[in-house]
Amino acid sequence: MSTDIDILKDVSTEEYKYGFTTDIEMDIAPKGLNEDIVRFISQKKNEPEWLLESRLKALRHFLKLEMPRWQNFELPPIDFQAISYYAAPKKKAKYNSLDEVDPELLATFEKLGIPLSEQKMLSGVAVDAVFDSVSVATTFKTKLKELGVIFCSFSEAVQEHPELVKKYLGTVVPYTDNIFAALNAAVVSDGSFVYIPKGVRCPMELSTYFRINAQNTGQFERTLIIADEGSYVSYLEGCTAPMRDENQLHAAVVELIALDNAEIKYSTVQNWYPGDKEGKGGIYNFVTKRGICKGVNAKISWTQVETGSAITWKYPSVILRGDNSSGEFYSVALTKNKQIADTGTKMYHIGKNTRSRIISKGISAGHGQNSYRGLVQIGSGAENARNFTQCDSLLIGDECGAHTFPYIESKNNTAMVEHEATTSKIGEDQIFYLNQRGIDTEKAVALIVNGYAKEVLNQLPMEFAVEAQKLLAISLEGSVG
Amino acid sequence: MDNTITQISNSLYSQCIADYELRSSSKDTAEPAELSALREKAFQQFKKTGFPSTKVEDWKYTNLTPFLKEEFITEQESDLVAVEESLVEKAMVPGLDSYRVVVVNGVYRPDLSDNIPHEGVYLFPLSAAIGRPAFKKHFGQYTDISRNHFAAVNTALFRDGLFLEIKNNTVLGKPLQVVHLTAADDHTFLQPRHLIVVGTSAAATIIESYVTVDNEASVFINHVSEIVVGENAQLQHYYIQTGNEKARYIHHTEVYQLASSVYNNYKASFPGTSLLRNNLNVALDGENVESHLYGLYLSGGHQLVDNHTIVDHRKPHCQSNELYKGVMKDEATGVFNGKIFVRKDAQKTNAFQQNNNLMLGKKAVIDSKPQLEIFADDVKCSHGSTVGQFNQEAMFYLKSRGIGDEKARALLIHAFAYDVTEKIPIPEVQAHINQLIEEGLKS
Amino acid sequence: MLSIKNLKASVEEKEILKGLNLEVKPGEIHAIMGPNGSGKSTLASVLTGKENYEVTAGEVLFEGKDLLELSPEDRAREGIFLAFQYPVEIPGVSNINFLKTALNEIRAYRKQPPIEAKEFLRLLKEKQKLLEFDTTLANRSLNEGFSGGEKKRNEIFQLAMLEPKLAILDETDSGLDIDALRIVSRGVNKLRSSKNAFIIITHYQRLLDYIVPDYVHVLYNGQIVKSGTKELALELEEKGYDWLKEDAQETTLKPSFQ
Repeated sequence: MSTDIDILKDVSTEEYKYGFTTDIEMDIAPKGLNEDIVRFISQKKNEPEWLLESRLKALRHFLKLEMPRWQNFELPPIDFQAISYYAAPKKKAKYNSLDEVDPELLATFEKLGIPLSEQKMLSGVAVDAVFDSVSVATTFKTKLKELGVIFCSFSEAVQEHPELVKKYLGTVVPYTDNIFAALNAAVVSDGSFVYIPKGVRCPMELSTYFRINAQNTGQFERTLIIADEGSYVSYLEGCTAPMRDENQLHAAVVELIALDNAEIKYSTVQNWYPGDKEGKGGIYNFVTKRGICKGVNAKISWTQVETGSAITWKYPSVILRGDNSSGEFYSVALTKNKQIADTGTKMYHIGKNTRSRIISKGISAGHGQNSYRGLVQIGSGAENARNFTQCDSLLIGDECGAHTFPYIESKNNTAMVEHEATTSKIGEDQIFYLNQRGIDTEKAVALIVNGYAKEVLNQLPMEFAVEAQKLLAISLEGSVG
Repeated sequence: MDNTITQISNSLYSQCIADYELRSSSKDTAEPAELSALREKAFQQFKKTGFPSTKVEDWKYTNLTPFLKEEFITEQESDLVAVEESLVEKAMVPGLDSYRVVVVNGVYRPDLSDNIPHEGVYLFPLSAAIGRPAFKKHFGQYTDISRNHFAAVNTALFRDGLFLEIKNNTVLGKPLQVVHLTAADDHTFLQPRHLIVVGTSAAATIIESYVTVDNEASVFINHVSEIVVGENAQLQHYYIQTGNEKARYIHHTEVYQLASSVYNNYKASFPGTSLLRNNLNVALDGENVESHLYGLYLSGGHQLVDNHTIVDHRKPHCQSNELYKGVMKDEATGVFNGKIFVRKDAQKTNAFQQNNNLMLGKKAVIDSKPQLEIFADDVKCSHGSTVGQFNQEAMFYLKSRGIGDEKARALLIHAFAYDVTEKIPIPEVQAHINQLIEEGLKS
Repeated sequence: MLSIKNLKASVEEKEILKGLNLEVKPGEIHAIMGPNGSGKSTLASVLTGKENYEVTAGEVLFEGKDLLELSPEDRAREGIFLAFQYPVEIPGVSNINFLKTALNEIRAYRKQPPIEAKEFLRLLKEKQKLLEFDTTLANRSLNEGFSGGEKKRNEIFQLAMLEPKLAILDETDSGLDIDALRIVSRGVNKLRSSKNAFIIITHYQRLLDYIVPDYVHVLYNGQIVKSGTKELALELEEKGYDWLKEDAQETTLKPSFQ
């Protein structure tokens, strides 16, 4: 509880403090998207034939697709041929130990608050750091290995555990799912891979930190998490990028697979560069995240705090196939300046007695546009399925917008679905009350917003919750006149 | 044209196109140039978009293919259809002192209607009102034909309907009951068009009932009504929808409200018609406007009932409240889509919306999509949507008091519907609706 | 401590305070009474700097400083505390976190270091005990789901924690049952000292049985029309305000009685 205060004290006047660039020698593929580039990436990564084939299949499909038009914002044209699809620090593609990592790189992550040397690590968090297209370092590997937990970069998994990758890759998000999933399947750069064996409760938080550095590149990582029967894992991801005037594309795919009695908790604190006040620059964060509760009593929980990106466009979803399985989605999305967020979730109830819970808190400030879009689908076999959705929007200033698009589709008469949504403005009387107790308006707004988002922030592991609160406070600076 | 139903639009689509081209080439209409221009614009729109497929977001859950497949007659014969008095009587709200107006296949029938001896009330066939100032001022002004395929084809091709004008400061003492009767020997596509203008500080109650005569032929009715509620005016507006499974209805109701006006819409539909699609759009285009939309849909058999509403807050200090409740029996499908828009200037808006659904049939389906789009900050808006079953504890309580299963269900359904029915201010109408619920549950 | 001279203030162009004068010295308790709409709550709002209240004339000095120049938070930091008539609910913000934030903001303004966690907890316990304040309330979200009485008690609890120089109690007694009223009054009595002062705005004499004021003022039509000691409150209870209204018309013609 005392953390809020420290955070408030910490609130800096910097606009976006992760906006620096790292000067490092890079291997960068020429701009453009074609079969040669895909072959080049695959070759760089020394991939097996089947993976190259699946990349090419996805590319051919991608080239046939058109941009979707149903979203609630104007999508600026993206020139897929003007992007470089591979960028990696030159020194070494794979590191055996931290000593081999370029000190400049280590310093970068240090500066971002992600120390990779294990002595300095937050206890109980293992980190995989991804810099542009490749994974730089994964910590606590040996300790995890003892338990049979596999936590490594995606490229490494392809080499070391091809059978697991082949078995599950693309089973939750096929390349045909949407245009960005197709693109990702074609040009996957790197990402994280997690496998938790039967009955193992992963003793520490697993975390991946994504960093875009190079210019004119996109980041296309793939995360695959498999929780075998009766296992548990809590996984966190964080993201930042330098301030650049042009937009950069981030089109990741995350697939979660929870087998019988397994539980996966996936948390994101997304702070990609949002662009400047006029809306220039910033990351296009177009991500496909989906989990499947394959087995009985499985559970998948998504928590996201979205404060960055010029455009955030994603719907972390859960397919509730196993009987008695449950899905959760907790989200805070903040948009200011000219930021746009069109985000929400999809819960597909297929198994009996499946449960889902959706808590979404949107905050719009400045000229920000914030949309919640959600689907709750009850299949005809989903006896006694239950859903509860609470979806609130908070408006700060009269130039922003809040939009709510929930879809409820029920084909089973024993199911119960409840959706509630409210939209309101930040209370002037609340601000005055706090003013009267000696708290200035900016801190008052930060307090109120953190209180408003508490239900979601509470879902995050401690370190991340602190980070997220800071982010909210910083992001709101200057939003209140 | 990927958003059009290509495979089935052919017959009806090309027929509509042909009708229009034939009509505009014959040039024997005495219609004013403005109306012809509007028709032409609507026609071009329809020609381009045709009938909507499920790829169109507003038709996502309503597949029209099975409802448009017959060969429909589009141009009716002008002979007056004979109507049995008992049918009209049956459609009337029992015991209610009111003015009776009868419309058969979209044609106003003075021979079956009451004379309205009320100063300031003008009731004509629409075709006879084209020269009136109110028609010129309001007709076609509020409906967005670019987004409403059926309104476009109606505008291009309508022949007639009702025109009702209630002059400034006129208070209509008795409700006006309009019985819309449909009777056809052949498969028919009808496109009636209505315009209702309620003047400044005027007040009226209009009860519209829709019934079909039991025939073998299918009828597809594409109704468009435009309603203007003037400053400080009040309009209570009821729709009571019954009919048989040969009937398919599209109602497009466009309401335009000026400052300090009140518009209340009560919509009740019952098992029968195989397709019922209601578009109810209300624009609150003045300060201190109030709008209430109440809906009750009891659906059974293979019925598809689709309610789409738009509440568009354009000016500050307005209030809207929407409550739609649905009961789905058998294999019925219910669709609800409620949009609330709060425009940038509409500060101090209070807008509420609620949709509750009771799923009785094992194969019943509900698709609910409430939607808020807010561009102003000093607002209070909320929506809610639920889909569920009977409260099992309530069921058990009733049974433990000796009430049988069927009776207990009926009691609980009435209780569920009560939130809507209690809002009906006319006791006779309330009783009538309750009676229809009773019958609807048995069918 | 507080000196109000010829204060005039309006809301949406409507003048509510029409030349109000008041002097408050350390150690004093002033009660301000008056019928509905006489300007009692407006006075509280103007003193604390609420938006929408426009001061059109007069001055307010607080310990020699021009109070009207200060922002609401700086007034609070100077030592003015308002116990609100309708305390707002702020979901998700814990009472304790809020209090610690407020306390440290005030300390920072006075160039004091932030309070240490241990010291804060000690203070919390001490004040909870002093005011018989339920510890579970302290841990909940700020006023969220509190009953009317609980909210009022929370206001007094905050008063105890923040130790202001001048406390304004705006209708703190309204909506309280007799037990809650006793607890609240007991708290106030324990908190009064020779260094602080209270302005108690109330509609009823009842509260003044428990918190005995040094002065009672009657506010009517935007002005103080009569001042006296606690006996005046009893007189008001007995006769109501009507007799004052007639009086007031005379007094406004005469020079101010002060």
